[in-house]
Amino acid sequence: RPTCLHLRPPVVKPNDFIPLFNDCISAASSRTQEYLLFKDPEDKFHPSPDVFLMTYITQSVCLNLTDAFNCTAMTPEQRILLGADWVWAVLEKPTKNPRIQIAVQVLHLPEREDAEENAIAVEGCSESLQMAQIESSSKTTYERLVGFCTSIGKDCYALFLFFGKRNDKENIYGVLSNNFEAAIGKCNKIDRPFIENFFKGSRYLHTPSGMMQALMSKKEGDPLTLMIKFS
Amino acid sequence: VKHMAATQDVKGKGEGGDQNFDYMFKLLIIGNSSVGKTSFLFRYADDAFTSAFVSTVGIDFKVKTVYKNDKRIKLQIWDTAGQERYRTITTAYYRGAMGFILMYDITNEESFGAVQDWSTQIKTYSWDNAQVVLAGNKCDMEEERVVSVDSGRLLAEQLGFEFFETSAKDNINVKQTFERLVDLICEKMSESLDTDPAVTTGAPTAKLTDSAPPLQQPGCNC
Repeated sequence: RPTCLHLRPPVVKPNDFIPLFNDCISAASSRTQEYLLFKDPEDKFHPSPDVFLMTYITQSVCLNLTDAFNCTAMTPEQRILLGADWVWAVLEKPTKNPRIQIAVQVLHLPEREDAEENAIAVEGCSESLQMAQIESSSKTTYERLVGFCTSIGKDCYALFLFFGKRNDKENIYGVLSNNFEAAIGKCNKIDRPFIENFFKGSRYLHTPSGMMQALMSKKEGDPLTLMIKFS
Repeated sequence: VKHMAATQDVKGKGEGGDQNFDYMFKLLIIGNSSVGKTSFLFRYADDAFTSAFVSTVGIDFKVKTVYKNDKRIKLQIWDTAGQERYRTITTAYYRGAMGFILMYDITNEESFGAVQDWSTQIKTYSWDNAQVVLAGNKCDMEEERVVSVDSGRLLAEQLGFEFFETSAKDNINVKQTFERLVDLICEKMSESLDTDPAVTTGAPTAKLTDSAPPLQQPGCNC
């Protein structure tokens, strides 16, 4: 448990967690940006999703957020099987069952994506990771995330979190939707260009708390797609 | 007719882990949320236990190799989320499973009441020949028990399942449950081979079964 200077009382009202969520995102994004801003002379480093995640979790525990809104880090096997690095959930009281979920997949800049793949190859995949890859080889990592969210329903959103974009390598952006699967019906492949394309058509970028407000106020079962700037 | 299938003589390549095995069995642990499925798998695969509860998201798995009659059997053990919202994704993994550990919590009546439904899920989504062991977990919590050993045993008999009371926390009957399930699968495979040698690819010459081990005391003895 991290050292917390000011442990806050648990949140009570349904939307009370949103400013706290915003604080956690702010801390995690700033920390990740330190890595995004690093000029690597050899292009060998890439900011791991864990940098963001660890900072986020540390803050969320300090702010006593986790009873209302929790964060589950995926195991290495789950990251491959489900295509998610972590899953956020708005929890129902008193059951603590998820009411709304956001499954997050981190995307690096294309050149860093390659570096990461090489790193995995060099490390040597464990047996269970190889098995997980075989199990999910029929789908791309993007499709796995969308498939996982679709299997749960409209209250589960896929969030592709970009650690840097081609034209802005130092900021964190996201595309969130509970309706990516609609693209499959239109014969579109869910790949990186498809996801990046959402930014081209949209001028409005939500803040993290704006995103959360939109999720909380949305009518059940309705489709929702948002672009977000996290940093 | 659906047949039992086993992955055989798959010689993998790569640096990580032991890649050679004679058989691979796919097993699933199912049951209501918070009965202890993940803890049970952690105890078996890693000999570890933590009382912190983290609800499983979707599905996960671990791998463990066991030896039986000089054969290496790789167990791919799938840990499923018990919550209803994950039912579509978890049932997708039932297909091809050779064995199930259907788990309830002896301190939770509702989880015991749901066993029949889980059993129906197995029949609906898995092979006809899949083997099932019923496990009443958390038998270390005798003071909070609401499901008797006899109720568990009776239900297992009615459903045609083997039965153990278990504790992931105190490491009671964890290994035994998996070993019994592996034995049951081996027996079933052997029967299938006797009646139809074509049921497994590669037509193995070796049988895995030997004389069945004596039945263990299903109760917790605690």
